[in-house]
Amino acid sequence: MVKLMTSILPLITRRILVSVVILFIVSALLFCILRLLPVDSAAMSMPPNATLAEIEAKRREMGLDQPLFRQYLIWLSQVLHGDFGASIHFRRGVAGLVAATLPATIELALLAMLIAGALGIAGGLWMFHVRGTRREPLADMASIVLLSLPEFLWGLFFILLFGVALELLPFTGRLSSGFERPVITGFLLIDTLLAGRPDMFVNALKHMILPSLALGIAFSPTIMRVLRSSLLDVYQEEYIHQARLRGLSERRILIHHALKNALLPTLSLMGVQFGFLFGGTLLIEVIYSYPGLGNLMVDAVRNADLPIIQAVGLTYCVVVLFINTVVDAAYVILNPKLRVA
Amino acid sequence: MIELDRRTALQLLGLSVAGSTLVGDAASAQAKDSVTIGWPSDVLSWDPNQRFAPDAQSILKLVFDQPLDQNEKLELIPKLVTKWDLAPDGMSMAIELRSDVTFHNGDKMTAEDFKYTFLDRIKKGEKLDTANSWKKVKAIEITSPTKALMQFDSPAPTAPQWLAFLGSYIVPKDYLEKTGVDGFRDKPVGSGPYKLVDYQLNSRIVLERNEAYWGSKPKVKRVTFDIIKDPSARVAAVQSGQVDLTINVPVREVERLKKEPNLAAEINPITRVILLQVRNDLGFADPNVRLAAHHAIDKAALSKAFYGGAAAPLSVVATPGTPGYLSDYKFEYSVDKAKAALAKSGFSPEKPAQIKLAATNGHFPSDYDIARAIQQMWKKVGIEAELETIEYAKYFELNRGAKLPEATLYSWDNATGDPEIFAGYLLNPKMPFSAWKGMDVGAKVLELFNVADYKKRIEGYRALNKTAVEAGATIPLLQSVVTVVRKKNLTYTKYANGWILGNTMGWS
Repeated sequence: MVKLMTSILPLITRRILVSVVILFIVSALLFCILRLLPVDSAAMSMPPNATLAEIEAKRREMGLDQPLFRQYLIWLSQVLHGDFGASIHFRRGVAGLVAATLPATIELALLAMLIAGALGIAGGLWMFHVRGTRREPLADMASIVLLSLPEFLWGLFFILLFGVALELLPFTGRLSSGFERPVITGFLLIDTLLAGRPDMFVNALKHMILPSLALGIAFSPTIMRVLRSSLLDVYQEEYIHQARLRGLSERRILIHHALKNALLPTLSLMGVQFGFLFGGTLLIEVIYSYPGLGNLMVDAVRNADLPIIQAVGLTYCVVVLFINTVVDAAYVILNPKLRVA
Repeated sequence: MIELDRRTALQLLGLSVAGSTLVGDAASAQAKDSVTIGWPSDVLSWDPNQRFAPDAQSILKLVFDQPLDQNEKLELIPKLVTKWDLAPDGMSMAIELRSDVTFHNGDKMTAEDFKYTFLDRIKKGEKLDTANSWKKVKAIEITSPTKALMQFDSPAPTAPQWLAFLGSYIVPKDYLEKTGVDGFRDKPVGSGPYKLVDYQLNSRIVLERNEAYWGSKPKVKRVTFDIIKDPSARVAAVQSGQVDLTINVPVREVERLKKEPNLAAEINPITRVILLQVRNDLGFADPNVRLAAHHAIDKAALSKAFYGGAAAPLSVVATPGTPGYLSDYKFEYSVDKAKAALAKSGFSPEKPAQIKLAATNGHFPSDYDIARAIQQMWKKVGIEAELETIEYAKYFELNRGAKLPEATLYSWDNATGDPEIFAGYLLNPKMPFSAWKGMDVGAKVLELFNVADYKKRIEGYRALNKTAVEAGATIPLLQSVVTVVRKKNLTYTKYANGWILGNTMGWS
C-alpha cells in the first residue's frame, strides 16, 4: 500500500503541475483565437439600436480597447476569481450556466464510456475468440461498420428504432413530465437516489440509455480492435505457453492471465477516447434535447456568445486533463511494473 | 452475504420498475389535465422585460400578464389595463388598471408596479430590451392605485400596441427590489394564469395553473415545455406520443403526419414576413437594378418549393389581414420586365450587374436554399449575385457598420400586425433594422412616426408600402408560416400571429 501511494502521489502531483501549464496554454490559445474572429463582443452585448458612442463606452468597460495581452490578463484574473463574465445571449453569469449544465454532461459521458468499455471489451474478446475461423472476416467487417458510423447517425437511428417504431425508450430531456426534479448535486441519477425516489432514478436512467448508447457504440470499435491486438501480442508471451503446459484451460488463461495484461493499453486508450467522447456530446445533446454543456456550447456558437465558448472550452480541457490523470493513476495501480521500487 | 445483496438489489430494481410503471399509469390517468409541448427554443431570461424573443412569448404570456392583449384576430383587448386613451398628439396616454390582480406571491398589482416596469427600471439603467421600446417615456404620473398617465417626449402612436408586444409584462416592484434581478430570474413571479414550478435550462419548463388567477381559469392544470431544438427530434417526439403538440416541423413532414390516425397537422400563416433587406448604394444604387431584382423573383415558385405552397407571396411588407396590407396591389413577377429594367442601365445576362447577397443558414426554414434559388433566378435576367452566409446574431452589428451587402435575406416578426412595426421599422433609416438609408422613402417613414391619428397613420403606411416597393427600397417575398402538429383531441386557439398558448388548450 505504501509502495502504491509513493508511486501514485508523485505522479498525480506531476500531472497537476503539467495540467496547470496546459490550462494556461489552452486558455491563451482559446482567448487569442476567439479574439481573431470577426465578432464585436461589445456591439453584440448591446441592444440593436445602441449608438456608436454607447458601444464604444461598452468596449472600454469590457476592456476591449486594451492590447490583446492586457485583455487576456484581465480575463485570466477574473477567471481565477471564478468570474467567467456574462453571457451575451442570456445576459447572466457564465459560471452559473456552466455549473448548471456540466453535471448532466459528465453523467452522460461516464455512462457512455461505461457502455463503450463494456461493448468494446466484449467485442474485443469475441474478435479474439473467432480469430483464424471463418467468422473472423465477419467480425472485422462488423467492427469497421461500427467504426465508420458517427455518433449522431447512431443517435438518429436509435430515436427512430427505440423511440418511434418500438416506443420503448424516451429520447428527449432527462426526465418525463410528471416528475419534479430534485436539485441536490446536479447529477440526476445521484439526486434521485438521495431523494429516495428509485422510480425517478429508473426514469432518469431510461432517458440516458439512448444518448449514451449512441455515444458509446461509436467509440466501442476502437476499444475492440485495440483489445484484440493486445491479446494477440500477449498470447506471444512465454507465460501463456507455460500456463498451457501447466494444463490450464484456454478460458482460464484468457480471463486470469492474458486479459489483465491486455487491458492495460486498452485502459490507456479509453482515457484518450474520453476526451473525444466528451466532445461528441455536442451533437448528441442537441439531438436528444439533453440539457448539458454540449447543448449550451452549440447555442453559444450559433449566437457568437464568446464568454460561454471560452468557459465551455476551458471546462472541456479541465475535464479531459482530470480524466487522463485518473487513468494514469489507474494504470499504475493495475501495472506493478510502473510502481517505484 | 453475496446472495442476500443480490436479492436486495433485485428487489430494489423490481420496486423501482414497479414504481416507474405506477407513475407511468398515474401520468396517463392525469393526462387530460396536463399538456406536454415540444418547443424549439428556450426563454432567454425569466425577467420578461430583459430580452425580446418572439418565440418565447407563448411561454412568457402564461407566467406574466401584459397591460393589453390581442385576440386571435390581433385586435387589441383589455388585460391588466381596462381602459387606455392615447392623446390626439400622441404625447401622453392615460391608463386604468384592474383592481383585482395579485401576483403569484400574493402581492397586489397596482399602478406602482406599472410605473416601475415601464419607467423606473429603465431610468435606473438596468440592461433591459424594454429600455428601447419605451425610451420615449419621460414620466408616469400615478393618479390613484389603479390610474396612471404615461407621458412621452415625442409622439408614441404605437404605445397601445407596444403594451401588448414584446417584453411589456408588468413585474412586481416590491418582490423584484427584494430579490434583485438574479434572484427574480431564479424564482420569477408574475400575475399570469400559470406559475413556474420547475425550469431546467435548455431542457424543460414546467408550469402549474395559478388557482388564484384573476381571469378565466385555464382548462389544463399543468403545461410542460420540452425544449427540443432539432426539428426531426420534434417530429419523432410528437409521433411517439412523448409530446402532445409541437411546432415548426418541416413542411414536408406535415403532409405525412396528417395521415397518422391520432395526429392533426396544420400549416398556419402568421404575421412574419420573409423579405430582402436592400441597400440604396453599392450595386443597388441604381433603381433599375433593384426593381429588376424584384421582378425576377418567382415568389410562388419559392413558396411551392420550400413551403409546400403554404407561404403566401407578398408584394408589400405586411401580411394579409393586417391594417397595412394592400390586397389589391401586386408587384408583378416578370422576367421580361426584369430584363428590360436592367437593359435601361446597360446590363444583360451577358453583361450582368454584380452584387452580393447575404443569407442566414438555419435561422428560419430553408433560408439558405431560398437565397440560392434567388441567386439562380437573378442569373437568368442578368444579375450575378455572390452569396455569403451571415450569422443572424451579427445582422445588427453588420448593419450598424454599413457592412451588409446589397441584399440580405431576412425574416421579420411582428405579432401586433401594426404597419409601423412592419414597414416603419424595416425602412426607417434611423433604426438598426433597416438596411435602406435613403431619405426619399426614409423621410416619409420618419413623418409617419409622428402621426398619432390611427386612421391617418394606417392610410399613410398603406401608401408608403406601395411607394417603397416601387422605389425598390424593399423586396418582400413571402408570408411566413408556423407548422403545428398535435394530438387530434387536443384543441388550441389559433392566433394570426402564431402564438400557441397553453391557457387556451383543452382535451376534447
